[in-house]
Amino acid sequence: MSLTSVDPRTRAENSTPDRRVGRPLPRGRRGRLGARLARLSLLHVVCIVLAVGVFAGPLLYLLLQSFKTYTGFLQNSTGWPSTFTLANYAAAWSQGDFGRQLINSFIYSAVPDVITLILGVFLAFPIARGWFAHSNLWYGFFLFSGFLPGALIPLFIEAKALHVYNNMPGFLLILSLQGAGFFFFVGYLKGIPREREEAAAMDGCGYVRFILTIILPDMKPALAAFAVFGFVAQWNNLILPLVLLPNQNLWPVTRGLYGFYGGHTQNWPLIAAGTVIVAIPLVIVFAILQRYLVAGVSGGALGIGVNDAGTP
Amino acid sequence: MAQARVTVPFGTRRQARWLPFLSVALPGIGWILFGLYPSLATIFYSLTQYSGVPGTPLNFVGLSNYVNAFTKLFPALGADLKVTILYTAGVTILQNAAGLGLAFLLNRRRAAFGLYRALVFIPEIFSVIVVGAIFLLLFDPFEGPLEKMYRSLTGSTSAFFGSPHLALWLVVFVNVWMFAGYTMMIYIAGLRNIPHDIYEAGAVDGVGRWTRFRRITWPLLAPATTVNVFLTAMGSIGQYALILVLTDGQFGTRTIGMDMFTTAFGSSTQLGYGSMLAMIQFFLTLLIGGGLLLVLRRREVQL
Repeated sequence: MSLTSVDPRTRAENSTPDRRVGRPLPRGRRGRLGARLARLSLLHVVCIVLAVGVFAGPLLYLLLQSFKTYTGFLQNSTGWPSTFTLANYAAAWSQGDFGRQLINSFIYSAVPDVITLILGVFLAFPIARGWFAHSNLWYGFFLFSGFLPGALIPLFIEAKALHVYNNMPGFLLILSLQGAGFFFFVGYLKGIPREREEAAAMDGCGYVRFILTIILPDMKPALAAFAVFGFVAQWNNLILPLVLLPNQNLWPVTRGLYGFYGGHTQNWPLIAAGTVIVAIPLVIVFAILQRYLVAGVSGGALGIGVNDAGTP
Repeated sequence: MAQARVTVPFGTRRQARWLPFLSVALPGIGWILFGLYPSLATIFYSLTQYSGVPGTPLNFVGLSNYVNAFTKLFPALGADLKVTILYTAGVTILQNAAGLGLAFLLNRRRAAFGLYRALVFIPEIFSVIVVGAIFLLLFDPFEGPLEKMYRSLTGSTSAFFGSPHLALWLVVFVNVWMFAGYTMMIYIAGLRNIPHDIYEAGAVDGVGRWTRFRRITWPLLAPATTVNVFLTAMGSIGQYALILVLTDGQFGTRTIGMDMFTTAFGSSTQLGYGSMLAMIQFFLTLLIGGGLLLVLRRREVQL
């Protein structure tokens, strides 16, 4: 299901339905159609108030504040900016170290994402094919393990003991191997016919090459959904960096922003600019890849980590 | 179970025997190391008074963390449990109501509705830190627009996220705002799964709107309701990232997860007691999750 399968023509028509009233209509039907259009435009008004006012409104309000000067904000905190300035963005960028943090965030989101997906296929394939005794039992156990007690405190102790605490390779290692999404591939892989691997093996194709060159391309839709989902989840993660990365140079943007608004309480234009910097990459991801993001979510298949933002 | 082992087509016979194990080795070990082990180790650490300070002993104390929590420290734990249950119930009920309402409103084929759905869904993609900043600004007790609205309506002021009466419900509201789009999408998927000819049959029988909802839509939506209620309840029991950002667990918003986090990583690092709190959260999750599944499944059958 796509959120915005936008046909610009119909959209323009929908947003100004009253324009059609002026068009000549067959006699007799005009009244009924007029009533229908009135009802339709009322529906659109309700939807616009809800979608724009309630859901997008707070985001737009924050964006607006980020263009105010600090004195402008103090004089008129809730209104339209008297002068638009980009100074807050420059200040937030230089004071908040967002440049480095954006790079960190990108590394933490992209690298483990790719490794997790590839390892996940290698883990899921033998289970999907029933190459182990009691494969289904293992699958069930893996699914159930999502309900085990929270792992945060022992993970912290373990990370210190294994020297993967407070350093980038260690953090990447933990993220890559934790692998929340591994087992959801099992269902998808079961749908790929067995003849595939039999034919490949007959032609002398090795297992690793078979997975990488035949299975991975076959799984593109599932992989894309998981990749986008995993990337966004990791980009938004606040708790793990808070616990495992005390070193400021290693902070991702979420952690950086958390520290930033502790340090600039009440300078809302500056905080707003910092927040927009953190949010913009995701808006871009959403705009380009929302099809995959929503496909994953609406199927309900990704019932993991969706509502517990940030917990490992 | 007489399930035949499937033969591995790759490599020689000897290679084929080891291939499955090699394939799962790295991800399997990684998952045990950083997923399964820390999860189970919570049980062990909950029996200690480990402080996490380097060089200090583990200090194994048996069940005394649990005993303390339910006796002399019960005022704190009881408050945690009350807040957790209020939070979970509030979010589950309101988010499902909002999601269902939005689903009915926005489940239309026209392109404009796709745009509305996208706007409703968009808060979901942001970090709690972004959402937190937005609502701390909106509800700022000095400069926020909602403060002005509140003052003109009631004539008094409020500390909002700093108010012991309001804070919890505001956090509930922000949680619902953030994830209502997600709940909506699952309800819409559910609505689209209802076969059209059932409605047509209903129309032939001349059923009214309310009957149509009560007798057709609501029962056939039951699987989506089950998923939504279960996921929102499970998600909100374990929620503390959003609370951390909005109130730091103060002003009556300290859920059990929040308490676990501050106990373990706050000013005094009591990792043992924190682990015990994580265990209590686990038991609470099992209790509520199991209960909900039982009730919701039975309901699905009855409807």
